[in-house]
Amino acid sequence: MTEVLIAIFGITMLYVSSTSRVEAYIRVLAVQGVILFLMVLLDHAHLEVLNLVFLGAETLLFKAIIIPVFLMFTVRKNNIQREAEPFMPSFYSVLITTAIFAFGFLIAFWASSNASNVRPLYFGVSIATIITGLFIIISRKKIITHVMGYIMIENGIFMLAMSVVGEMPMIVNLGVLLDLFAAIYLLGLFVTKINSTFDELHIDSLTNLRD
Amino acid sequence: MIPIILFLAPALAMALFIFRSKKLNAVVICLYSFTHLACSVTLLVHPASYGRYFQVEPLNLFFLVVLSVVLAGISVYNADFTLKSAVPARKSTYYSAAVLVFSAAISGVVLGANLGMMWVCLETTTITGAYLIYYKTGKEPLEAAWKYMFICSIGIAFAFVGLIFLSLAFTGSQPSLFFTDINAHAPVFNKFWLKMSFVFMAIGFGTKAGLAPVHTWLPDAYSEAPSPVSALLSAALLNSELLIIIRILKIMKIADLGGFASAFLITMGVLSVFVAAVYIIRVGNYKRMLAYSSIENMGLITISAAIGGPAAFAAVLHIAAHAFSKASLFMTSGNILKRYYTREINGVTGLLKADPKAGWSWIAGFILLCGIPPSPIFLSEFIMIRTMFGRGMWWLAVPVMLLVTIVIYGMASTMFKMSFGNPQKGISQERFNILNYAGQFVFIAVLCLLGIYMPKAISDLITAAASLM
Repeated sequence: MTEVLIAIFGITMLYVSSTSRVEAYIRVLAVQGVILFLMVLLDHAHLEVLNLVFLGAETLLFKAIIIPVFLMFTVRKNNIQREAEPFMPSFYSVLITTAIFAFGFLIAFWASSNASNVRPLYFGVSIATIITGLFIIISRKKIITHVMGYIMIENGIFMLAMSVVGEMPMIVNLGVLLDLFAAIYLLGLFVTKINSTFDELHIDSLTNLRD
Repeated sequence: MIPIILFLAPALAMALFIFRSKKLNAVVICLYSFTHLACSVTLLVHPASYGRYFQVEPLNLFFLVVLSVVLAGISVYNADFTLKSAVPARKSTYYSAAVLVFSAAISGVVLGANLGMMWVCLETTTITGAYLIYYKTGKEPLEAAWKYMFICSIGIAFAFVGLIFLSLAFTGSQPSLFFTDINAHAPVFNKFWLKMSFVFMAIGFGTKAGLAPVHTWLPDAYSEAPSPVSALLSAALLNSELLIIIRILKIMKIADLGGFASAFLITMGVLSVFVAAVYIIRVGNYKRMLAYSSIENMGLITISAAIGGPAAFAAVLHIAAHAFSKASLFMTSGNILKRYYTREINGVTGLLKADPKAGWSWIAGFILLCGIPPSPIFLSEFIMIRTMFGRGMWWLAVPVMLLVTIVIYGMASTMFKMSFGNPQKGISQERFNILNYAGQFVFIAVLCLLGIYMPKAISDLITAAASLM
């Protein structure tokens, strides 16, 4: 069951790289939040009750509901155009993401031959998600897509942390709390102010400081 | 003593919100910084740990003392900055509270005995630091704060991946992030995971330490932040990140992967010095110039730490010397900005005539920073180069020396252009009070003392710290 969820998670990342609509990204983030929630539920054997409740509430409320709603609100309020304005056609984007996934699995199988405590699917998709998140940040022009790319990296890290949850439950909580705090902080403090300071939420307006 | 350092600041920060007075803000930050200094000195005499999470040993004790001295010096400068600033009292309170929490979080990183705890404190420094950089508000500070926040949060996320890999490296024992446990189990770690973990942590923590190629936030943040904050970022924050890098290097050495780790860190270090050398000769803004110099020095310290042996002593000494001289220079740069109303190098001439105190501390700071005797950096760079040649690493020593020479040339031409000549019209004729200069003078005096005659107590402290690297 977990394997199916992980596979769906990987597909959502491929979808993100193929589409250029901001709303689609937000929907993908919501879906990823639900997937992570289900993964936490399925992993209940490794977690204490309190920990399980915390992680479940965190993934469902924050990752699946609050962040997407908040992002949608920001998009509507600031009249952000729907187009995410990638630097390259989506065909190449999908090609690169596929290569990243292949690379992720390559590392995963290499790792599993080196160490016994690795689950290749878990590990491969997590690593590929983290790298794809970075790729989204690099290849899209809007500041809000940067924030979304960052949240995708966080989701990948959350999944990676879940893969070691049996050995060290604390580490998931550690990652969750502050990474989410940072993401909310990014959105709340900056995005709204950037919009009133700059004409558009565009990284081209962040190039005044240079040598 | 440790609880006072860690928890007094948040308590005071909350108290500030009740009164909301600029005078109180200024006084409270000074009060905290000098209490911090008193606590560090007490810890030096009677080392005492606080629970398992915060412990002192000679290595972080040295970092703590450097941090205390830097905080004390900057707090005096900050007092005048806070009193004279034109912002409303409410905003001044937010600023002061952020400075207090920022200082306490850096102390938490320095004192931490658990990698997870250090990571949490690091996150706190990122969030409060972003607010401090955005203090002046407007387009450029916003851009700088955004870049700082975004790049550093990705760095911190990478460091967290490193922590996950580290917990996978434990074989046959319960994973733990306490350094005592990590160091005890390091010899039997799974080498593959440990290497992966090191790479992610070195890049992640290296982002905040300002090492190339992940240094890009640093020049923007330093040039846009108010001067006391630039001084804090450069002299206090960077050192604490270096401490983490030194500690993970230690883990790698115990696990018999020292060669791999050293090679990785030396590459990052040389790249940092290279980036600084390329940019510093054509930079047009004197605060950015100081920022690139920070990147250069972080690179040199990382190289020294990675080489180890006698160079470990050099690394520790360099950390203190760089912190004091850079804090002094950033505070002076604030004085220059107040007098000339510009951060452009071309807009500043005749500093020595316009403001002799600032001019001389500007030149003295430069001499001390660039390793010209009597600077302790002369000693540390000499030991570093000597160790390289001693080990037959001339292929490393020669390029590093060349690059450092380029940096010194770039800084010297700028510094002298700004200091000599006649001041242009339209600059401020105001006489700044002694609070604006006291910190710089103390730092310069301490550095000259360290360079000419190092008391035995201090050299013992440095030796003890270096022996743990």
